Amino acid sequence: MTDQVLVPTSADEAVSLYGSGEGLTVFAGGTILLPEIATGKLRPERALMLHKAGLDTIRTENGRTVIGAMVPVAALVDHPIDLLAQTARHVADAEVRRNATVGGNICAPPGPDAQRGDLAAPLMALGARVRSAGAGGERTEPIEDFLAGDRSGRLVLEVELDDVERRTAAAGLRRRHAHSYAVAAVVGAVRVDGSDLRLAAAGVAPTAVRLRAVEESRDAGDVLRDVQPVDDAVASAAYRSSILPKLVREVLDRLELK
Amino acid sequence: MKLIVNGIEQDVASPPLTPLLHVLRDELDITSPKAGCQQGGCGTCTVLVDGEPRRSCLTALAAVDGAEITTLEGLGGPDSLSPVQAAFYNHYAAQCGFCTPGMILAASHLIESHGRPLERDEVLEGLSGHYCRCTGYVKIVDAVLAASRGEATEIEDLPVAVPGEPEVQPKGSPA
Amino acid sequence: MKAVGARLPRYDGIGHVTGRTQYVDDVRVGKTLWVKALRSPHHRARIVSLDVSKAEAVKGVHAVITHADVPKNVYGHLEGLGVPADEPLLAEDDVRYKGQPIVAVAAESEAAAYAAIEAIAVEFEELEPLFDMRKALDAEAPQIHQWGNVYPHYGPYNHRRVRKGDIDRAFDKADVVVQGVYRPQAIEQMPLETQVCLAVPEASGRLTIYSCTQAMYFSMGVVAAHLQVPLNKLKFVGGTVGGGFGGKVDTATDTICALLALKSRRPVKWRWTREEEMLASSTRAPWHIELQDAVTKDGWILGRRTLTLHDAGAYARFSPYGVTKHAFHHSGAYTIPNLRFDGFVVFTNRVPTTAMRGFGVTSVSFAVETHLNRVAEAIGIDPWELRLKNANRIGDTSGNGVVLKDPSTVPVTLAAAERVGVELPGSYRAMTSDPRTGELLPEHLVAQQKLNGEGAS
Repeated sequence: MTDQVLVPTSADEAVSLYGSGEGLTVFAGGTILLPEIATGKLRPERALMLHKAGLDTIRTENGRTVIGAMVPVAALVDHPIDLLAQTARHVADAEVRRNATVGGNICAPPGPDAQRGDLAAPLMALGARVRSAGAGGERTEPIEDFLAGDRSGRLVLEVELDDVERRTAAAGLRRRHAHSYAVAAVVGAVRVDGSDLRLAAAGVAPTAVRLRAVEESRDAGDVLRDVQPVDDAVASAAYRSSILPKLVREVLDRLELK
Repeated sequence: MKLIVNGIEQDVASPPLTPLLHVLRDELDITSPKAGCQQGGCGTCTVLVDGEPRRSCLTALAAVDGAEITTLEGLGGPDSLSPVQAAFYNHYAAQCGFCTPGMILAASHLIESHGRPLERDEVLEGLSGHYCRCTGYVKIVDAVLAASRGEATEIEDLPVAVPGEPEVQPKGSPA
Repeated sequence: MKAVGARLPRYDGIGHVTGRTQYVDDVRVGKTLWVKALRSPHHRARIVSLDVSKAEAVKGVHAVITHADVPKNVYGHLEGLGVPADEPLLAEDDVRYKGQPIVAVAAESEAAAYAAIEAIAVEFEELEPLFDMRKALDAEAPQIHQWGNVYPHYGPYNHRRVRKGDIDRAFDKADVVVQGVYRPQAIEQMPLETQVCLAVPEASGRLTIYSCTQAMYFSMGVVAAHLQVPLNKLKFVGGTVGGGFGGKVDTATDTICALLALKSRRPVKWRWTREEEMLASSTRAPWHIELQDAVTKDGWILGRRTLTLHDAGAYARFSPYGVTKHAFHHSGAYTIPNLRFDGFVVFTNRVPTTAMRGFGVTSVSFAVETHLNRVAEAIGIDPWELRLKNANRIGDTSGNGVVLKDPSTVPVTLAAAERVGVELPGSYRAMTSDPRTGELLPEHLVAQQKLNGEGAS
């Protein structure tokens, strides 16, 4: 059993208790942690529970949308930002989405049999930034930088997006039932004036991946320069490699780039 | 911590990270929510938390401190079946019965939140997180549709030949 | 028989819809201990050393058992039918599938039980595993079972055989030979209720076992045999199962719980996690089925050669019986006068396989029906006609000599066609199960016909 459970009642208290994150298990929605605890794989000594820390709101201010780390994935399903809503709808099922959180999704450690963290892909495509706390204080950075860096000592507080008009598109391959992990998913966004094309792939690697080579060349075939898909219980690397260019092509076509 | 379970306030002593499933089953001896997978994948642990279906195996006790929890026992007893319970009974929507608690709670919420007769697709989508390994789902969907339409068909009144069932004239056993 | 044709309520219906049905995990007995097992992480390995002393010393642990604690450790599911025992309840010198249980513990809490498992010191020497049943018969394949890689106890043979008529002559006379290979794969029964057992030692010296078994008396026999106690020492309570589909016959939990209950003198409960269920519970078997049909241009199946390999996994369990059932059905619902069937039970380092919904039969039905469509295509004949011509009729004999008195192939095939909206010619629709005559009785089917009910059954 966990020796110590900390329940901060404000974001500041959460940051203060988190410190550098050393020896602490952060508990957001629990959808990943509780199954591991149930099978004896994880025995947290100190847990930081975030459900009372006031991190569960979505607000719009100063031309930005700010999504707290503890916002349930369920809250994104009908969100006006269509790319987020589409991706959220594919996460598990309606009941799990009430427990799963945006922060937990983004920070999910690599899964043993399937890839996680699908929400990071639309967030990348929408130019999202992550505000996090930890040793060295608070910082805000593009989500792809956050994921690429050492995030073991970072506590995600919120994710912010600029409210910019974009065309968006998503294409994915998954079985047509709930709880299906994607074999592969590609999302894209471009400003209405055709600038700032952003593409990301989810479900093919331990985190979502920004497709910068494709953004540069507009050639779907370049996707395999951006990401090396993995083998897992859902699909083989070879199969993912064969369909990724097709999904990228579909997204590029739907974005009607000039 | 406190939970209000099926209308009764309970003081619970389980540690804060204990899944609600095990608080209910092991501390309070309320056994209708089941430990089918303990990963949120199957739906047998589903209970209503403040009226909404949640996976109790993925819900830490501390996160629902003070909440109202409804399990199948709280929906109705043998002499007071709710419309959905009665529909499951009359339409043979349960075989082994293991998926039934989660299924009925999810279906009840689905019907209530729409407030009108459901379409087949809505039932399939709405219950898509719930597995059944026995029935093939057909009779579950029939029961939920019937309940959503306010039908109160008794078993004896169901049509004798349901569309889809073959008409076979047995000629006597060769055995 | 007033109930036949009437709609009756399920006797357990009210219990199910009110959440009152009591499954094994819902039974509450005071002071129950939690059971966990150490399972092999390797597909095939020698156990070099095993030390459970630190597990026994973990706070909250009441009992730890190894193979040494089992009065009769090695057992076979078909011992009652004369098939020798081959499978240890708890591994002794080696492990032969990933997930095989080696040690079991009973402790005050799940956490203590997990801690005890982690405290076990075990050393393995990994060995080369065999996964492909087709390779099992190769000379260079590792021999992974004490009987070799093939079950050897079908009388004097190492395979189940069916021989009917003159197969070589049938193939000589064929216009076309159609071959096919069919490989249905393993399926996990995946009941929503995982394997579970609660064993309670009674003051009388008996054991009450709340079991999820599909086969109460069979499981009683398994436990009694391992424990070497008379049946009246056991009281089994069960029959309320959260799905089994064949996967709850192998008696995966009852014996280990019984032993721990006796050793700890406390009630013990073992509820498998979903991971254990997917890893270590027995599945439907993979099969490799090769069919060769000798066929005439006008759609008569003169003969069939069948080679079947059945992947039993690491131990025999019910596999010899499964292949026997499979053999009975290898001609399908059709009359084929010349048959040669060879079915091998093959061992691999996979989880032992077992029954699932039509044990042994679904595999061969799939193969036979798919193959018939291939045959129809090969000779350019309507697949419905092919089936109706060769369909079992009264007085036909089956592959193992049973005289058919009331076969249903014809009426069911016709009903199926109607159900799916296929309009068959009038001559087909007029067919019945009546004994073959005229055009439906060609020369080669005369000998197999037994109209006055004679013949082996």
